[in-house]
Amino acid sequence: MILSDSRLTRREALHCLAFGGAGTLFALSGGVLTPVDLARAASLPGQGAELGRPLFVQFSDTHIGFHKDANPDVAGTLAASISLVNALLVRPALVLHTGDITHLSKPEEFDRARALFSHLRATELHTVPGEHDVADATVSEYFHRFGALSGGKGYYSFDHVGVHFVALVNVLQAKDGGAGFLGEEQRAWVQHDLRARAASTPIVVFAHMPLWSIHDAWGWRTLDAEPLMAELRRFGSVSVLNGHIHQIVQKVEGQITFHTARSTAYPQPAPGVGPGPGPLKVPADRLASVLGVSSVTLQRHPRQFALHDVSLA
Amino acid sequence: MLALTTTGLLSGSALLYAQAPATRHGDAERGRRVYQVCAGCHSLDEDDVGPRHRGVVGRQAGSVPGYAYSPALRDSHLQWSPENLDRWLQNPQALVPGAKMFFALADATDRADVIAYLEQQR
Ligand code: HEC
Repeated sequence: MILSDSRLTRREALHCLAFGGAGTLFALSGGVLTPVDLARAASLPGQGAELGRPLFVQFSDTHIGFHKDANPDVAGTLAASISLVNALLVRPALVLHTGDITHLSKPEEFDRARALFSHLRATELHTVPGEHDVADATVSEYFHRFGALSGGKGYYSFDHVGVHFVALVNVLQAKDGGAGFLGEEQRAWVQHDLRARAASTPIVVFAHMPLWSIHDAWGWRTLDAEPLMAELRRFGSVSVLNGHIHQIVQKVEGQITFHTARSTAYPQPAPGVGPGPGPLKVPADRLASVLGVSSVTLQRHPRQFALHDVSLA
Repeated sequence: MLALTTTGLLSGSALLYAQAPATRHGDAERGRRVYQVCAGCHSLDEDDVGPRHRGVVGRQAGSVPGYAYSPALRDSHLQWSPENLDRWLQNPQALVPGAKMFFALADATDRADVIAYLEQQR
């Protein structure tokens, strides 16, 4: 992470990170996206500048509206995460949110989230819905606010500095056990979208539920993602990002890096530990260390991504 | 193929879920801790993703006023006896096809304990 001296000293920022778990910075270098822990980047001699150009920051699972004992102040921890990103010396233009913006899809929760995100110094915010964002009876609050880029569908693609981004929705056709599902129409769309790209194009795919299998018994997977993975294997550099799990889980498989971001709201148990997923209550002085955001940097030589996870602690 | 998985750190709270011997009536105190996994979607006194739980044992399914149930659960005519709750928590869609709770507790002791806890929340 690259921090500006004027806003936060590195120590202050590190301290701030230690309180929550702020995030991951993604850097692109040699066409490969590398996640780098923001706290680790901040501790490098060049404060992370050597990692390359910051490409985007990933926020996830902000759960605005949640107020139980695992974190009674989710607005506060989101605001702290936003300050952390604003303090980056070189701020990325893009911010991705991998869903569960709100806890109950209420209009006032979306409005609160929007007001908080308006403090973020970034030019573009791209989102996908989590299951908590589509829980309203008419399934319209999210699409009404964030559906413009996708014609109300929620899934879409865009290009930014030569990187192709694909936003997917896997929370609308809930399946037994709570696993994600893309559906035939979206799968056909994404196949078509990717087919037109050269294999040398760096690709970032993001969705709320994991597009890979993290813990099947808890529904931490997407049932029909395999054809998409097969299509992605021909690309030289692919990053597949998700939220939903509220902790960092990573896997590298060939050219594909899978990355699950922390929540800014509350942690969950590690896959398979305990009776099931759910808000994990940690001692108050540890909460910051398990919350955070991720940030990605684009490196020139070699051209690859670097990913940094930053905790609020 | 290179496959490398790392998971985030975990607190000592995992110990909290160490297996207790199965008791016939369930251990309400342990059930209170198991209930934490329900807290992503439920609380005792407020509707959340799922309906509020106080008084649920013995209640008619789908009967909390103001909560938007799935038509399937609302029209199920089930009563939340401990036995029905046990079946629900094993697999909600097997008991009520079309229900919109996507969560299950695989372990019988966890289910018995959380039901014992809910029984006390009158
Ligand atoms: C992922 C979210 C989620 C989790 C976690 C969850 N539930 Fe639910 N629950 C729901 C939803 C949604 C409903 C409403 C179902 C419907 O209308 O079909 C529900 C309904 C219920 C009902 C029926 C209540 C009534 O008024 O008829 C009971 C009982 C219940 N849940 C118990 C539990 C218990 C106990 C746990 C934890 C072991 C739990 N749930 C975890 C989402 C969840």
